Order: sequence, then structure tokens, then C-alpha cells
Amino acid sequence: MPNEFASYSAVELCRLIESGNASSLDVVSSFLGEIESSNDDVNAMISVSENCLETAKAIDNKRSRGQSIGPLCGIPIAVKDGICTKGLRTTAGSKMLETFVPPYNATSVDRLELAGGIVLGKSNLDEFAMGGSTERSYFKPTLNPWSKDHVPGGSSGGSAACVAGTMAPLAIGSDTGGSIRQPASFCGITGLKPTYGRVSRYGLIAFASSLDQIGPMAWTAEDCALLLSAVAGYDPRDSTSANVATENYLDRIEDPISGLKLGVCTEHFGDGLDSEVEKAIREAIDVFADLGADVKTVSLPHSASAVATYYIVAPCEASSNLARYDGVRYTTRAVADSLEQMYSKTRAECFGTEVQNRIMLGTYALSSGYYDAYYLKASKVRRLIKNDFDAAFEEVDLIVGPTTPTPAFELGSNLSDPISMYLADIFTVSANLAGIPAISIPCGFSKSGLPIGLQLQGRPFAESTLLSAGHQFQKQTDFHQQRPSS
Amino acid sequence: MVQPIDLETVKQVAKLAKLELDDARMDEASSQLGRILEYVNQLESVECPDGIEPFYGVVESKDAIREDAVAPSLPRNEVFKNSPDSDGEYYRVPKVLDRES
Repeated sequence: MPNEFASYSAVELCRLIESGNASSLDVVSSFLGEIESSNDDVNAMISVSENCLETAKAIDNKRSRGQSIGPLCGIPIAVKDGICTKGLRTTAGSKMLETFVPPYNATSVDRLELAGGIVLGKSNLDEFAMGGSTERSYFKPTLNPWSKDHVPGGSSGGSAACVAGTMAPLAIGSDTGGSIRQPASFCGITGLKPTYGRVSRYGLIAFASSLDQIGPMAWTAEDCALLLSAVAGYDPRDSTSANVATENYLDRIEDPISGLKLGVCTEHFGDGLDSEVEKAIREAIDVFADLGADVKTVSLPHSASAVATYYIVAPCEASSNLARYDGVRYTTRAVADSLEQMYSKTRAECFGTEVQNRIMLGTYALSSGYYDAYYLKASKVRRLIKNDFDAAFEEVDLIVGPTTPTPAFELGSNLSDPISMYLADIFTVSANLAGIPAISIPCGFSKSGLPIGLQLQGRPFAESTLLSAGHQFQKQTDFHQQRPSS
Repeated sequence: MVQPIDLETVKQVAKLAKLELDDARMDEASSQLGRILEYVNQLESVECPDGIEPFYGVVESKDAIREDAVAPSLPRNEVFKNSPDSDGEYYRVPKVLDRES
């Protein structure tokens, strides 16, 4: 039976539940039904929660007794499998953690549950979030619900495909170089990477700690505002979380666009940009202009260096973070005679090739004799990239452009050349390097029916502006209301 | 900067990173790392003004200090459930030192 709630946004589902026109159990059951009928085909979920129906019943009981059920009202949520869920297997898409069952929840999971959200299951990802297609998962690759010959993007490809495939109305992803926005773009949904530190990283399996950030994925900007409001905020258990007041991001969702200064970044419209993507983005900019935005041109002169900078900084941090997988504390160990050999064999057998490559790249770039040329130089260029944004945000409120240079690519097409895969991140990595928030919004379809995403980047902690601009755009367009046919 | 990486250097890096890779995988890694290094070497030509400070992330040089107070932590038996080998009190690992040495 098709999911009867497939066309609803999460905010609409909340209204249905609050008004008694549907129960949390109805909603959770329908999405579970969709997972049962579609997941074998799409591989968006690695594990499904065994408790979600019981939790839904408990929330319905609370509501029938007149108690508050929280802003998330018993809505089911897919959580990226790189985020720890107490008692629910968390693999990070790796053989290394194939049977890892966390003894604690990530703060973001605690918070979404406290707000009445229900963890529906754990969504697929590139191993340790290292990849842009979800083909690097130790489990099967996730397919794009819009076209099963194409990738859903990555690394939060399972989260994006869960939403696009109507297997979950909301999802949590993480974004280190575009891992929320790029799959959101490829799957025709909305995805927000908040400001670095806006959402606690406690319980997020670390990839590159100065870049990683957790964020919401959903059909609409309004739904992202709902979910971000639940998970954002300072956490003493993450010393890098920002001690900056949080807000209810729905309060300012109706803020008008008129008067906002929108910067079109010249560097985003050069060689390599697909012509259909460019056309969709130009048309979307016209929509913003019609809504009263003051459209100007801005320059981010060092953006051409962003991917190279990222592919030094991120592997360096990863090589350190992944040192903890040593066969001692986590689930899997290779048979060996000595401790040293046990480490080396476990890591050779249980890490995939992309993860091994990045660990080696980081180890090399940090090693004596190469540190200055690579890590130090990249960190200086990172400062230049951040300075570019600081200067641009003197002139404009938001920077607009494509999320990705092309729509989703075909499965397998970028697996042999690492650089071609990395270049899918060319417009997204800068926001992580600078720590600023950015959102991807559906803004069109290619002739072959693949979604196209528009990216808005904002000043630190300007999530409200990004979300309200996205919401105003979505009130004028219907790209976010399309659903894949199969 | 540096030339794309040779096989001996890759072997040394794999050793430092505790990755016991076979010859075929070592060759593959060598060519993939070479390709990536060739690409990232473009940073060599980016001019950085004198005295520019490296940027390591938004949270710069902030010490997080808390009271040294006793608080509950994870139950040991829960934590050991994920370990490949433990005696319930300690992780067990292959022999580190030879008896004779």
C-alpha cells in the first residue's frame, strides 16, 4: 500500500496529529510500510528501530490524556548512521563498526526525542562520511529515488533518499564538506548545514572535527526549521558547541525577502557548470528578485582553492580521529600474534579503500618535512577563504549559487577517479572551511527529470535568514512538492 | 612543494598509519594518493600575504574548563559489550612484551 502521508510536509503531519486527524502510530506505520516495500530496492536504511511503534503509541497516549507531546508530535525521523543511538546499531557505514551498539545517545538524538520525535531508523552513508555518493558504504550503495541508475549523493545519501523516497518525513544528516547539501540537491529536498557549533557534535562519529556539523533534511525549509529548533543549542559535552542563544526557527520563517541583499558569486558560474543547472539557478535568482531581494554581484576570489584546501585539512583531521579504531574497543579485531600486527591487520581488513587513502593522505600531510607545505599552507589558505566570506558579507546578506555543478551522476561513474568525485563538492566545501551556515533548496529539474539544488550561504548564526528565504522561495515554487514516480 | 608520492613513501606512511596492506593495494594507494597530491599541489601557487595566521576552525584557542566534579559515567559492562575481548574489568589485547625480554 502506498504511503498515504507521502505528500505531507512534517509541519503538516504535526498539525494532523495535534488536531487528532491522524495518530503518531498511523504516521509511523505508514512510513515503516514504505520502508518495507522500498528499502530493499533503494538501500536508504541500514537498520530500522524496533521500538518506534511502541514509542508512537506512548505519544498517542500522552496526547489522549491531554499532555504535551512536544513540537515534533511523534513524527518519525531517519538518523544518519554516523550518529550514535543508544541500543540501536550504529555502523558509520563501516565494517569496523558493523556490530557497534552505542551505550549512549548523541545529544542531537536526545534532543529530538525530548521534542517528541521518534527515531525510525539509521540511514546509509559513505563509510565514516567520506564520500559524495553513498557508494562507499560497506553496506550496499543507496540509489537515488528519482532515478535508480543515479547516486543519491553523499555522504548523507541515505538520509536524503529516505526523505525523497517517502520513507521518512524528516532526517538528520551531517555535513563535513557538503554531505547534507549535496545529497539534498541530488534528491530534490531541502538540507541545512548550520553554523559550526550550532548543533552539538557529541555522539557524532568524528570525521574532521573542525568541519563536521549535524543538520536537518526535509522536503521544505519550514520542516528544517522545525527540526533545527529541536536539536540546536549549546551542549557542555561538546566544548566546540556555540554558547549562543538558540531560537525557535519557525518564529521568523515568514520574514520577507524584500530588502535582503543577495550576492551572486561570479566564481560559481564558470567552466564546468552544467547548462541546465545554470538556467535553473538564474531563474531562481529572478524569483528572489521578484520577491524584492536586492541582487548584486560578489566575488569569493579563493573559491577555486577550496577543494584542494579541504582535501588536506579533512584527511589530516581524519587520520587523527580514526586512530581510535584499533581493534581494542570497537567490535572487530583481526587475528594476530602481536599487538602491533593486530592494529595493522584490523585496520587493513575493516576500513574500506577510500578511508584508508584519506588516513594515509592525512598521515603524510602531517608528517615531518611535509607539515608546512601541506597542513600549514592549507590552513593559511583556509584563512583567505574565510576572509573572502567576511568581506562578501559586508556587502550582502546571503550568497546564492548552485549547490552542485551538475545534477546527480550515474552510479559508478566517479569511482575510479577520486578528483572527479571530490569536485562535486566544489561549491559546498567553502562553508565548512569558514564555519558558516548554508542551505540547499530544490529549484528545478533537468530534462531527464533529475532534481537541481540552489545553495544559499549566510553569516554565522543566520540560520533564520536562510530558512525564511528558502521558505519564501518555496511559497512561490512547487519543486519541493514533487515526488518521485516509482 | 612535493612530487607525487613514490611507492616507498606510501609504504612508510601505511606503516605510520598502522595499515598492513598487500602489494596490490599498496600500488593502488600509491597511484590514488599521487593523483590527489597532484591536485592539491595547486595550493603551492596561492599567494598568502606575509604574516597571515592559519585558520584552524571557528573555535580558536578556547580552553573548555569545568569543575572537577564526580558525575555518573557509562556503566562498564555496557561499554565492554562492544569490545572484541575483555575480562569485564580490562580490555584484553595480544601480548605486548615477550617474557624473556
